[in-house]
Amino acid sequence: MSSIGRPDPSVPFADLANASPNRNMDKIPPIPFMRKARPYLILAPALLLTIGILIPFFISIYYSLTNYSFKYKDYSFVGLENWTKMLTDPSFWHSVWVTLQYAFFSTGTEMLLGIGVALMLNQDTRLAKALRIVLIFPLMIAPVIATLIWQLMTNNSVGVIAHALRSIGINNFLWGAAPKTAMFSVVLIDVWVNTPFVIVLVLAGLRSLPKAPFESAMVDGGSAWFTFKTLTLPMIKPLLLIALLFRVMISLQEFSIIFALTRGGPGDTLMSLPLTAYNEAFTYKELGAALPYMLILWVFIYILSYYLIRYWSRAQKNASGS
Amino acid sequence: MGNTNPIAKILKNSALLLYALFALFPLFWMLLISFKHDREMFNTIFVFNPTLENYRVLFSTGEYIGYFMNNVFVSVGAVLLSLAVGVPAAYALARFDFRGKEDLAFTFLSFRFAPEMLVILPLFLIYQKIGLYDTAFGLIWVFQLISLPFIIWILRGYFEDISPEIEHAARVDGYSWWRVFLKINMPLIKPGMVAAALLSFIFVWNNFTFTLLLAGQGVVTTTVASLKYISSDTVHYGQMAAAVTIAALPEVLLALLIQKHLVRGLSMGAVKG
Amino acid sequence: MGDSNMKKSHAMKSIILLVVTALLVFLAACSSGGKSSSPSPSASGGASPGASSPQAAADDGAFDWKKHSGEQIDVMLNQHPYAEAIVDRLPQFEELTGIKVNYSITPEENYFDKLTTALNARNGNPDVFMTGSYQLWEYAPADYIQELDSFVNDPSKTDSGYDINDIFKGILDGDRWDLVPGHAVGTGNLWALPLGFESNVLIYNKRALESIGAEPPKTFDELIEIGEKLNGWNGEGSYGVAVRGTRSWATIHPGYMTAFSMSGAKDFEIQDGKLVSKLDSPEAIEITKKFAELVKRAGPKDWTNYTWYQASSDLGAGKAAIAFDADIFAIFQGSEGASQEAGNLGTAPPPIVKEGQPVGANEWIWSIAMNQSSKKKDAAWLFMQYFTGKEHTLWGATQAKVFNPIRQSVWDNPDFVERISKFPGYYETFQAVIDNTSIKFTPQPEFFNTTTEWAAALQDIVTGRADAESRMKQLAKDINERVSRIRVQ
Repeated sequence: MSSIGRPDPSVPFADLANASPNRNMDKIPPIPFMRKARPYLILAPALLLTIGILIPFFISIYYSLTNYSFKYKDYSFVGLENWTKMLTDPSFWHSVWVTLQYAFFSTGTEMLLGIGVALMLNQDTRLAKALRIVLIFPLMIAPVIATLIWQLMTNNSVGVIAHALRSIGINNFLWGAAPKTAMFSVVLIDVWVNTPFVIVLVLAGLRSLPKAPFESAMVDGGSAWFTFKTLTLPMIKPLLLIALLFRVMISLQEFSIIFALTRGGPGDTLMSLPLTAYNEAFTYKELGAALPYMLILWVFIYILSYYLIRYWSRAQKNASGS
Repeated sequence: MGNTNPIAKILKNSALLLYALFALFPLFWMLLISFKHDREMFNTIFVFNPTLENYRVLFSTGEYIGYFMNNVFVSVGAVLLSLAVGVPAAYALARFDFRGKEDLAFTFLSFRFAPEMLVILPLFLIYQKIGLYDTAFGLIWVFQLISLPFIIWILRGYFEDISPEIEHAARVDGYSWWRVFLKINMPLIKPGMVAAALLSFIFVWNNFTFTLLLAGQGVVTTTVASLKYISSDTVHYGQMAAAVTIAALPEVLLALLIQKHLVRGLSMGAVKG
Repeated sequence: MGDSNMKKSHAMKSIILLVVTALLVFLAACSSGGKSSSPSPSASGGASPGASSPQAAADDGAFDWKKHSGEQIDVMLNQHPYAEAIVDRLPQFEELTGIKVNYSITPEENYFDKLTTALNARNGNPDVFMTGSYQLWEYAPADYIQELDSFVNDPSKTDSGYDINDIFKGILDGDRWDLVPGHAVGTGNLWALPLGFESNVLIYNKRALESIGAEPPKTFDELIEIGEKLNGWNGEGSYGVAVRGTRSWATIHPGYMTAFSMSGAKDFEIQDGKLVSKLDSPEAIEITKKFAELVKRAGPKDWTNYTWYQASSDLGAGKAAIAFDADIFAIFQGSEGASQEAGNLGTAPPPIVKEGQPVGANEWIWSIAMNQSSKKKDAAWLFMQYFTGKEHTLWGATQAKVFNPIRQSVWDNPDFVERISKFPGYYETFQAVIDNTSIKFTPQPEFFNTTTEWAAALQDIVTGRADAESRMKQLAKDINERVSRIRVQ
């Protein structure tokens, strides 16, 4: 991707890059204030639009330090009581584990599957061309609806997939209804909905790769895997990391799929952090007690993203350097 | 790309078809049941008497069309707004070097960290107070949290890949900043912009929590409305399937439309170096 | 970017920025949250009718439907046939009173989330809302609801033909509570007016029972036996008894609670003025074991995912032979053309558990209530009495799907009786259970808290992750801890 900078006859003005005489941009005169302020000014609208979210965010932090509840008119400040209660509750650690499991399995599967499918869709066969358009469709179904559809299909009494499984002898697959298979079921639905996300991004990246290096690699006769590992992968790494980043962020926050399928059950099997928080806030109506769960989740996401981005910028540097 | 080994090709195609089956069967089945009457919902699979009843119910009250248009307005508005402020922001983050650059970039990303449930209640109270509850603009604004970080980060990557030399050269030769942006930068980031816009549109179109709690009857969207068909006397899966099918159409349309641009953008940038 | 010094300074700056913003916003939040945080030990909470709502003061003289013509009210409704019936007759109401009604309908799965959020804003929107009885135990102590006796008893506000005594006492009592945790419903202020109710009974498929030559089961043990025999009665995927099973309070209150109460078990007792959970009592453990056995031997395989929707549609689709759930299943699935098995469904009283105990079910009541912070209470009251009045209730029961109607006069009405007679066993079952049908739960504000955990425990027991005895004991301990947090206001 870094080779975009080199002049190319089909890109307008590209020939000017080498033709112009005044090309000594290395020595830039001291920047006047307006020039200095320019990036901030350009960024200001975007920032203004979104910075407002900090207000509800800090209000939530405030409420997490109170015993605010929908069931009572008054509330009082209780300091860190909600936090300590949460951290000493074994079900909290279980929630953390469920959340991490869910994010790991769904994101992991989506990345691997997404890359694989994108690679296969990058060919010029008719099949690939046709499927390229159509395989994004699952993403267009809202997760809550996708869950309802999968639930209907896998229901043991009336579901078409359950029926198909029975006809090949699998009689007791309980999907979301049994502790053993519940995680598999929700991850499956998540993968179904979100793999196209990865596919679209990776495909966009693959389609803007320069052809030359690959043509010469083919001439040199390396294996497909070798080409992939040494050429493709580093060049699409930045996009891969963005896909990974967003999938991680979103799957850690995922609520609708688990809620719609099992509401966190059976028992406590799928009580992830968002589910627990929802329960605490809307079923038990203890908002003050619910917010720490969400804030901790926020912290997780913050830390994970921070490290992913450091890795991303390092990869970005490597990609442009090579 | 890759080798022309026939066995590998067959394997690749089978794998692709397998995934396609997994991805498309539920959609096909959903389309199927949208043509099934409730009575036949549970005792027929592929052979049944198709009916347009579900679609008829959907359109008979005219409500659904209203929800649909709401959704269109809010989603398109949100994505356009995000593009309008996000493209320059991405450009600034890619091109300029200034203090706090990485912090700002990360800050934009961090807005996406907030789980909806964390902010939804204070947000609800604030929206009611400032009169944004149940308004299209209120939703468009809150959707920026979803679409803007994504658009900025994707496009930043694309902008960073464009060497500044070309731009500087063109500028020095007298081409205005705007023309340079339009003629050089835009075509090169088009695949990214188009992909980011499409994905943002999908996320915003399907949003559930915000539209449920920050909007009342004035701005009902299709996702919330589709759940209406899970009525309380019986579940009208057929109607729900019909509602979802119709709701997915704009996304499908958008995807089909921009397929061209994804390709056009690539042919500009691919033949390089 | 890249070296640790720059990163550190970045981090420092972020932290400073965050802290400063936090302080600013904290101050802002304090000032806006100040209203409710000032600890005014509210002796209200509706104890003194009318004291907290100046609008309830008596108006001038006579009652007049058009007294509040020109006003607008906001109504929140749950996606439900009762709501549809209301919406269908809004034009009549608006013509009669001149009041414009803005309504919103939300799918049931999300309705209460939205309602709680709206009520919590305490800004008068909505004026009227649909609610269940159990929700009243949370909303009333929190002072979200306007008590209604002052309206009912005011002749200038209530139509003389309203006849509140026409409403079944057991049903109306379900909306009456004195706000003391542990005190049964039926005394204290009236918090809402009922729209319709359900009692929990057996709805069975006649073909299924005939196929094994059985009568509808009379005892719980019979239910298990017959249910097990009926597994596979109608081919693939069919089974004996449909009951709900999700991790939700909605699983406990229909069939399970009905059986629970008939077994003589109680959910709570008051000891030394405190609520004590009785879910670890031998009766409670026994009935829970039996219920688990029912599910395992005769219930749906996906039981833990089963909501009202799955249970009722399985009955209508001919997958479940029997459903132990709301009686209105028989009507919704049994109406002509509504489902595949319409016409094959019959209704019978719920199975007794102990010999000699009278047959009675737990009931669920949908009602409408008035927002305490509403600014149009009189107009709202006109809405409420209209849609719980004789005319609308009769219309809903004969022309729409408002089952079960709350008024005796409707049950006596020949048109209604004729309509009901089309559902075999329905009227007889109603008469058999109505006297002992009431809310079997002990009212307390942590109801949803405790019953959701109850459902989770039931799931653990049915899926075999825990045995009944130890799980119920653990549950009782857990519940005791939760109810000890009830704040008396």
